[in-house]
Parts: sequence; structure tokens; C-alpha cells
Amino acid sequence: MSLVLTLLSVVSILLGAFFFLVGTLGLIRLPDLFSRLHALTKTDNLGLGLVILGLLPWVPDLFHALKLVLIWLLVLLAGATGSHLIAKRALRGDGEDLTP
Amino acid sequence: MDFATRLLVFFGCWTILAGWDPSSWVIGLPAVLFASWVYGRLAQDSARPGIRPMLAFLPFFLRESFRGGADVARRILRPRMRIAPGFQTYRMRLSQPAARVLFLDCVSLLPGSLSADRHQDVIQVHLLDASLDVTPELADLERRVAAIFDERLEPDAHV
Repeated sequence: MSLVLTLLSVVSILLGAFFFLVGTLGLIRLPDLFSRLHALTKTDNLGLGLVILGLLPWVPDLFHALKLVLIWLLVLLAGATGSHLIAKRALRGDGEDLTP
Repeated sequence: MDFATRLLVFFGCWTILAGWDPSSWVIGLPAVLFASWVYGRLAQDSARPGIRPMLAFLPFFLRESFRGGADVARRILRPRMRIAPGFQTYRMRLSQPAARVLFLDCVSLLPGSLSADRHQDVIQVHLLDASLDVTPELADLERRVAAIFDERLEPDAHV
């Protein structure tokens, strides 16, 4: 493993972890449910993407690389669909009581 | 997509995730069969997504994912958050169920927008900054999604 690749990988993983942290900060700081969903879906997408990008140079074969990318895609799909469903329930007001 | 293609795709997904261990198929086989059946029910007569347009979509998707994450991070990290949340509506022209799901999910990954509700063709989009009109961006995304499912859109967008 060349030094440059190792360095790039570490930077990518750290950047990914940073975005996860920012997403959590957004969950605390943002004022309402919908804005919080923004922070979660987008930073998770980018954070996990960067972590996986950083892990790719270390995989032993193509099979494991595919596995990592597939995990990213599945998390994206689940995250985006989940946030849409949460927002829909909140908008129509037929879910649990959301007022604090 | 016909049933055989769906079986093949989900079979491939399971193999990638769980590996070749035969005992994993105790869970895997029912899951693959169920997923193939449910996909058929939900997607109805949606066209099979084209490989080449999907590859063309990828750079756009990665770029927008990066912009989306960076945009929301910038807003959160400011001492005084720069947000003016609100809703806008948009009339979808896509008609295939699978294309609509992809469109709604991608809206949530674009910078500043979140698909919040859908009544037939009309979707509600929540925006972190509702002072800007996002109709052109949504129409652009819709065109790109339509290309994946080989769908023709009527020329006029907008609500």
C-alpha cells in the first residue's frame, strides 16, 4: 500500500466521520422535524459514502468492494425512503403526538 | 422486469452481502423469493432500468450527494443557522411506480430539499431555504430519472 493511498484513505474516513458528527449536531440544533430529517439523510449519505470510499483501498478482492458499495446503496435507499415516510406521517398528522 | 431477471438481481445482492455459505440460504432463499414477488407487485409494469442511462446518472448523483451533504453541513455549522424552512409543491410527470420512487428518494438527497408527501401526481417538497424556487432543479432531476426508465415526459413542467 503506497503512502499516498493510505493518506487519502485516512482523510476520506475522517471526513466521513466528520459528516456523521455534523448530522448529529444538526439533529440537536435544527428547529423542527423536517429540517432534522434533512440533516440526517444528507449527512448520513455523504458520511457513509466517504467512509466506504476510504475503506475501498483495503479490500482483499472485488467481491468485498461490491459488498461495501451495495451496503452504501441499501442504506441510501432505506434512509431516503424512511425519511419520506416519517415526513408524510408528520404532515398528515395521523401518527403519534409530535408536539413537545 | 420479468420474474427471472428479478430473481437473478436479488440472488446476486444476497450473494454479495452474505457470501457463499450454504447455511445463509435458510434466510436468503425466502428473502430473495419474497423480494422478487414484492418488487413485481410494487413496480407493476415499470420498464426495466437501463444499465447505460444508470451509468450516466451516477456522476450526477455523486456530485449532488456531495453538494447536498456539504450544503446542509455548512448551514448547521454557522453560529446563526442560515435556514428559512418551508414547503413547495411540484407536479410529477413520471408515471411508472419504480421511476417515481427513485425520483422521490433522489429529491431527498439533493441539496436543501426533502420529499415530504405525495398525493397522486403532486408532491410536497420541504426546503431548508424556501425563498428559492426549486422547480427547475426538480424538473432536471425528473428528466434524468425518466431517461433511466426510458420514459417520455410531457414538455411542460411546473405547477
